[in-house]
Amino acid sequence: MTEFEDIVGTEGLAPDEEERLRRVHELLLAAGPPPDLPPELARPADPNAAQPPEVPLLFRRRRAVAAVALIAAAIAVFAGGYAAGHSHSKQEAFVSRRDVSMHGAAGRAAVIHIGKKDAAGNWPMLVDASGLPQQQSRAAYYELWLTKNGKPAVPCGSFRMHGHTTSVRLSVPYSLRGFDGWVVTAQANEETLGPVVLTT
Amino acid sequence: MTTDGELIQRAAGGDRSAFELLYQRYARPVFGLALRRLGDRGRAEDAVQETFASIWRSAASYKPERGPGAPWLYAVARNAIVDRARGRTDLPAEIPDEADGEPGPGDRAEQSWVSWRVHRALEELPEREREVISLAYWSGLSQSEVSEFLGIPLGTVKTRTRAALAHLADLLGDELH
Repeated sequence: MTEFEDIVGTEGLAPDEEERLRRVHELLLAAGPPPDLPPELARPADPNAAQPPEVPLLFRRRRAVAAVALIAAAIAVFAGGYAAGHSHSKQEAFVSRRDVSMHGAAGRAAVIHIGKKDAAGNWPMLVDASGLPQQQSRAAYYELWLTKNGKPAVPCGSFRMHGHTTSVRLSVPYSLRGFDGWVVTAQANEETLGPVVLTT
Repeated sequence: MTTDGELIQRAAGGDRSAFELLYQRYARPVFGLALRRLGDRGRAEDAVQETFASIWRSAASYKPERGPGAPWLYAVARNAIVDRARGRTDLPAEIPDEADGEPGPGDRAEQSWVSWRVHRALEELPEREREVISLAYWSGLSQSEVSEFLGIPLGTVKTRTRAALAHLADLLGDELH
């Protein structure tokens, strides 16, 4: 449907205004849809990353810095283990490297916080979803997907809503390069792909 | 609203927030331009990163007295994308004997500039106006289906579409003539 009359209508439009809106209509058709930004481009890269490296520290000073860093790391590991062992109720803080916004109808939304890939190639993610209806059926759930050409390509994890806002941790082992976005589908079951309820 | 030119000047002084605002405004137009020129998402992604690195490095060369920021940004993006295209070494397997009816360089340049301006203007629309434009023009839905999808009355969809077009007309100004 790309006719001006179908999309905008001419009823009540003054001739000058109709001409102006028709020109915008034609420009929109000529321009085509803006591409969805892939997750990798959700935020700018550090513009200083390509700058020449700073002059290295003197060798002895580097050794001292390394020693301090090792001691600090050992303390952190010990403290982390202690905290994990003594506090099951507090969630470990999630460090996001990149945030991807998703949106849907009627104020439904989500933010995917993507953490740093681990050595094995897993991307940790924290998904904050809000406004999605809670499932009535025990078999129903939401599924997060990476998309290719706008269509669900690989699954990234599933979740159920337990309130207006739900946060879940997921992890994907895929390289995020080569995909063009994310969607969330509402799954009634595992057999058929459900409708898309959130998109990037 | 802060103009693009003002943001470029602030970025030249090392203002990261100005640079990030430029990125928000132009990441999609740059990505669209790179996709059209390079035809490959991975290479287009790299071109976007290179474009913004170039903007950061060369922001001081922008002279506001020579014109607004959008054409300067377009030139930087085009140069970064052309540089990346030049690095491509794979040749077509077969060279066609005849013209293929595709638009020539002049037409492509015009088309690229129009898309650049329109996509940049879309970034300025309020989310709810951008949403109806996207659904009405590129989703294949009728306005009645858009109404059903968004859960709002058909009259509201049409009013919002008109408002969005009028808003775009203001933003695109000189492109309309």
